[in-house]
This record gives sequence, C-alpha cells and structure tokens, in this order.
Amino acid sequence: MNQSMSNILKSVTRPGRYSGGEYGQIIKDKTKVKARFAFCFPDTYEIGMSNLGMRILYGVLNAEEDVWCERVYDPWLDMQEKMVEHHLPLRACESGDPLTEFDMVGFTLQYEMSYTNVLNMLQLADIPLRSAERDDRFPIIIGGGPCAYNPEPVADFFDLFNIGEGEEMLPELCRLYIRMKEEGRYTKADYLHEAARTIPGIYVPSLYRVTYHADGTIEAYTPLYDDIPTKITKRIMTDMDTSFFPKEVVMPYIETVHDRVMLEVFRGCIRGCRFCQAGIIYRPVREKSPEVLNEQAKCLFESTGYDEISLTSLSISDYTHLEELTDSLLSWTDENMVSLSLPSLRVDSFTKELMDKIATVRSSSLTFAPEAGTQRLRDVINKNVREEDLLRAVGVAFAAGKNAVKLYFMSGLPTETDEDILGIAELASHVIDAYYACPERNKAKKPQVTISVSCFIPKPFTPFQWEAQDTMEQLARKQELLGGAITDRKIRYTHHDAKVSRIEAVLARGDRRLADALELACHEGFKFDSWDECFDYDKWISVLERTGIDPAFYANRAFGLDEVLPWDIIDCGVTKEFLRRERDRAYGETTTPNCREACSGCGANRLGGERTCCPKAKN
Amino acid sequence: MLPQGEKLKERAHLRTLPELNPPITVRLKFRKVGSLQYISHLDLQRTFLRVLVRACIPVWYTKGFNPHPKLVFSAPLSVGAQSVYEFLDIRIDRAMEPSEIKERLNRELTEELFIEDAYLPTSDFSQIGWASYEIKLCSCGMNAEKAEELKQTLTASPLMMTKRTKSGEKEVDIIPLIRSAESVFDEVTGQITLTAVLRASSSEYLNPELLVTALKDHCGILCGDPMNEWYSILRTSVMKEDGTLFA
Repeated sequence: MNQSMSNILKSVTRPGRYSGGEYGQIIKDKTKVKARFAFCFPDTYEIGMSNLGMRILYGVLNAEEDVWCERVYDPWLDMQEKMVEHHLPLRACESGDPLTEFDMVGFTLQYEMSYTNVLNMLQLADIPLRSAERDDRFPIIIGGGPCAYNPEPVADFFDLFNIGEGEEMLPELCRLYIRMKEEGRYTKADYLHEAARTIPGIYVPSLYRVTYHADGTIEAYTPLYDDIPTKITKRIMTDMDTSFFPKEVVMPYIETVHDRVMLEVFRGCIRGCRFCQAGIIYRPVREKSPEVLNEQAKCLFESTGYDEISLTSLSISDYTHLEELTDSLLSWTDENMVSLSLPSLRVDSFTKELMDKIATVRSSSLTFAPEAGTQRLRDVINKNVREEDLLRAVGVAFAAGKNAVKLYFMSGLPTETDEDILGIAELASHVIDAYYACPERNKAKKPQVTISVSCFIPKPFTPFQWEAQDTMEQLARKQELLGGAITDRKIRYTHHDAKVSRIEAVLARGDRRLADALELACHEGFKFDSWDECFDYDKWISVLERTGIDPAFYANRAFGLDEVLPWDIIDCGVTKEFLRRERDRAYGETTTPNCREACSGCGANRLGGERTCCPKAKN
Repeated sequence: MLPQGEKLKERAHLRTLPELNPPITVRLKFRKVGSLQYISHLDLQRTFLRVLVRACIPVWYTKGFNPHPKLVFSAPLSVGAQSVYEFLDIRIDRAMEPSEIKERLNRELTEELFIEDAYLPTSDFSQIGWASYEIKLCSCGMNAEKAEELKQTLTASPLMMTKRTKSGEKEVDIIPLIRSAESVFDEVTGQITLTAVLRASSSEYLNPELLVTALKDHCGILCGDPMNEWYSILRTSVMKEDGTLFA
C-alpha cells in the first residue's frame, strides 16, 4: 500500500475494511498466473467476508495453479467519497490492483437490493456498465448466486451468468479463457459463444433475443445460435462429501457478521414452503456424511482458531444424522472451549436434548418462524407447523430458564384475510400464556415475545411466483390492524418496510427492460439500497417513472399461468408443472409432505445427487 | 503451522501435562505495522484470541459462566499508528518454554503482526511512563527552517489543544506531556523526521495524532493535496518514568 493511501485510510470509518493483509489471504506471482479473477461481493467487507459461498469459490479458483482469485468488497459511503474525490479506482484486496487489470470479474448476487451496488462497483472500477459497451480490453463480467435464477433485470450488464453451483463452472470458465488466449483465438464474442455452447450452466444473455407482446408480457426467448441451449439447466455438485471444501479461511482482523466456523451440512431443503425460493432452487437435498463433517469441522477449527461452529444449512434440524453429528462434535469441542450453534431451528424438532447441546441457547432469546398466524394460512404456505408444536417448543425453552422468544411472520401472503393477521397477535399471546403455565419458568423474569413481520414478496421458482404482491396500502392497513390488536406490553411488534419489499418484488420478477432504470439509478448515485440509511423509495419511483417502468406491472400484477416468465430461460431442476400443482394445492389449503415423507415429483431428482432422499430419476 | 489434524492432538497432549497453579504470565513483545496499523485495539484482542488457539498455546481460561483467556495489553496504540514495541501479557496453565510460544505464534502470524520476543516478565505495565515515536512528515514547504520551527513549536509552552476525554472535550497544554522532541530535515527525501517522547502512563496519555494535529494547526503543514502529503507514526519504544527502556 502506498503512503498516499494512508491519508485516506486515516480519515474513514473502520479502515480495517480496506487495509487487507489478512492471515490466510492468497498471494500469487501475477507474472506467472494466466487468468486473474476478481471475486466481488456487492456489499460491505463485514457482510462479504461472512459469505460461505465466496469462501468456497475463492478456494476453488485459487486451487487452479495458474489462476489467481482475489476479493473485492463495496467500499462504504465515506470511502467512496474519497475515492471519487481523488480519482482512485476500485481495487482488489490482495494485490491492490484496479479491477480493469483483471481477466474476469465475478459478482455474487445474494439479494436483489444489491443490484445497485453491482453497478456502483463497476462505476468505481471505471468499467462501462453494459456488456455491449465493453470490448475485448475489458474483463469478462460474470454473475452468479441465488439472484442469477432470474438474471433478467441485470442481464444487460453481465457478459455471462453461472446458473447453479459454481465449484466446477468457474474453473471451467477460466480454463476455456486460458486455452483461447494461449491459442491466440480469444475475442470476447467468441469466448462468450464458446462458453455458452460448451459449458453446461452458462447463460450468455446477449445470445438470446427477447420479444414482447403488446400488453408488455414476454412473447419468446430466441437463441441467436442453434448450437446453444434453449434453456439453461442449473449445475449442482452431486456428491457433497467429495465436493471442494476450503480447508483454510481468510481471517478478517475486524469483526464481521458471521465471525465463526461455518460448517455446511447439506444443500437443499426437504420442506417446500411455498413462498421460499431457497427451498426450491437448491434442490435436490444432498447431505454430507457425519464423519466427513466432523473431520471438516476439526480442520476448520485448527486452521482458524474460532471458538464457535455454526451448522449452516436451510432448516438444519432436518439433517438425517443431526444427533450423531452433534455428538461427535461435542466429543472434542467442549474441551477445546468451542461452542456449537444452529441458526435455523424448526419448532417441531426443537427438543430439550438439542437445546442442551447448542450455544445459541445460552443467550436468553430463541427465534422461531411460524410465518403465518392461523393454521389455515400455514397450510396454504405449506409451513407444516402446528400451534401445538410452537407452544411445546417455547415450553421447553421456558422450562430451561429462557424468557424471550422471537417469532417471524410474513404478511401479504396469498389468500390472507384479517383473521390471519389477527391470528399473529393471538399466537403471541398464547406464547405469553405458555410462559405463565410453565411451572419451571424463571419466576424472577417477565416473558418477552417479539413479533417480526416481513412482507411477502413473490419470488421466481416458487409456487407463489405468479402471485400479486399486496399493494403498499394493503400492507400498511394490515400492519396497522396487527399493531392495534397487540395490547400486551410484553409483546413487541416490528415490521419490515413495505416500500423496500415493493422494490425488491420489482427486481425479483423483473425482465430486461429494467436495465435502463438500474442504469439511471446508478448514475444518480444509488447504492447500499439494502441499508435503511440509503434506501429512498421516492427516488426509486422517480427513476422507474422516468424510464417508463410501471412497478405494479412487476410487483402487484398476478402473472398469467400461461405467460412466458422472464426466468423461463432457466431450468432450476424443479418443473413448472410441479410449481403449478403446488399453487393449486395452496389454494385448496392442502399441505404437501416433505421430501423425506414422500416424493412429490418436483423433478429435481433428474439432476442426480448422492445422500439425497429423492428416488432415482428414470433415464 | 502444525500439520492438519495434529493440532487437536497437540491440544489434548497439553491437557495431560501437570497444571500450573497459579497460572504463570508470559510477556509477548510484538510489532504491529503496515496494514495492521488500521486494526483497532478491540479487533487486535479478538485476533490474538484466535491466534493463541491456532498456535496451541496452553492459555489459562477464567473460571465461571463464560470462560475466556485473560489478555493484558500495554499502553494503547491508536488506529493509524504503527509500532515495533508492543506488549501483551498472557497466562498459561501448562508449562511451555517462552521461546516455543514465540515460535508457535509466529507460524500463525504475518510479518505485519509478529512476535519479537517472549519471556517471563519482571516489570509491570503500570511502570510505563513514556513512549517514543518516529513521525515522518511529507508535505510541501519542508526544509531545515521548517524542521526547526516544528521543534520550537513543540517546546514552547503553552501549546493548547482540545483533548477528547471520557468526560468530554477540554483544552490542555500538551507541552508538559512531551519529554523531548527532535526534528530533522532530510535533503534526499524532502521529509522531516520527528522523534518525540510522549506521555504514555496509565493516567496521562498524549496521542501522537494530536501532536500531528498541533503541527498542522500551528505550522501550516499537511494542508495540501492528501494524495501527495502524508505522515506516518511509528512507536519505537516505551519507557519507564525515569526514561529507561521498559521491557
């Protein structure tokens, strides 16, 4: 780092975000590598350093001897001001080199509200925003992650997307790049075509033409070449036991959001909650075996020195060998002063035995997610949790001396009535009652129930993908209705901002026509829109208006069941027919058994997978 | 670094050694330079907690509801200042040679955060009275006269500065907090190097940043383009009340 940077770093908050030099960072000789990859996380260092996917892919890419992958995070507002003032381009952590010197720049798209950060980072890096504006001299801009399942709103800015898990795709992209460079036949256009043609899971948006009907809905996607797929099927790692595992971690000096060992236990989720995108796009469920997990946990403890191991997966208590795993971990973690935590607990699996094993419960508060206030609505969303389950679970917690419970709900769900909203308040007061009914409770403390209510956002690849989001007026009325129904001061009520949720819905279900709006947003300085202090709804509406976008078309319109959806170009493994069936069952208030109880034929089993609960697919 | 899979075995082995009761204190002298100058005291503490675990040091944990190792650092160093003379006292409850501790720790550290020495201490951090700094100033208008002017400014009482304390801001004369100050202009680099010994006792502390601010305010340096003008602060040693080196 040069001396002039020191002045800047001395004048910004948390300079440790930018100073680099972490233990475990990978430094290579740049004259000896053949492809340089800048892996960008479009949010702050503290959030990006906590992302497990990035830890894995950083390791995967650097395992290639001739590839050097570095990390890039979005500088916070005060740093950005300094960078603009002094004409300092965005740089990678390891080498300190500007992004324009890289061969490839990858962005992980974790949430829609980070799209403005992606463009903001390209702008800070002096890289033209649109793929069409970038010639062979610029790095290839790659997108991936959960939001890439509907990449259309940002399609014009990216050269290509990775659909699905990147452990194999990213090295394949690098190999192809190096090969074409070495053979002297690299042009950006040829590279993109070749990648689309030969690497499964690669979506090159510029190679597909989109036509629209007069009413604004999509008419068709047409590939420009007949040797590229008409639908891009997601990639998965079939065997999680042998899939790449990062033995070393870049250790942040400053405190990050998840400053602990993150042990990925399995991918996918057996549940199939009908609002949940993660529950669909990560199918099929693929578990790691407990022996492998125990070894990986030991390895990470040894290489990091962290004092906490978090078992991270969707609905962790669904892991088939949870007891065996926690027992084998506890056989060495306790004596080494390491605690275990389980971030996602289902009320129906929460037991005293489990609670005794984990650290999250050493704090006084526990969190559960019933999602809806009545059994009817919980059946509609296929949450498959009953009030008895919740009351039993909180009873276990109260008996163990806890007094605080946090409950997550969603409002604006399809078929929701006022009764369902009022049911949230009722459920909360039943939890309070359960406290006083518990003879072993901590009698010195009062119960504290926190209800946190978010707004339903229809997401691609869910049974609710066609649903209209409630209007802001509807959501506001429901929020007030619930607020008025809560009179007990032992119940705390918070709700998400409906304005953010509406913009998120627009971006989640948007198509390529949103590009102009996002570009304008970038030029007007939009950034960190997932941060309350930066999000400005009125500015968003203004930008959408000026670029001819009606937010209601994307957020508040019920999409036609036969309509071509912007994300129909992607095949996530789960079929549209299954989503359609699930939608019908939702309206019939019928639940669907989880994957372990019975196979409902979602279609993801054709992707393969080891240690899964899916029946083998017929060829 | 011990090979993979060996550290848990080593930790288990350490637990079989006879327990030291009471635990003994080992002093680590370390440097914190380069990018580590931007890491706060709290973050440094968390970093050491992990490094001690990675290095398989038999640290003693407090007894009670929330067992944790006891780490005691010497005079605090502000963010943006480097040092080659920092101390951390740790406690161990199984026998391990200080030289072995040093070696193990350095396998888990980088050159920017590095253990220079480990030994059994014979002094107490409360004996620290002063800290010596080397402050490099790169600014336009640097010459021998300027160097002299800086020195004069740092010796002519009173030099009133606003000091932020726990109880709010207050105006103090910082001259009594300066034991000595030398100022040298280097023709070749065009920089001025300031060598100053500042108060660093537990009750009185002069932050070298404040000294630089004083010079900015009174001598008109470092007021130009921040991309061309800069300063760096390096703590070179700490001393006892009488000015002898603390170790």
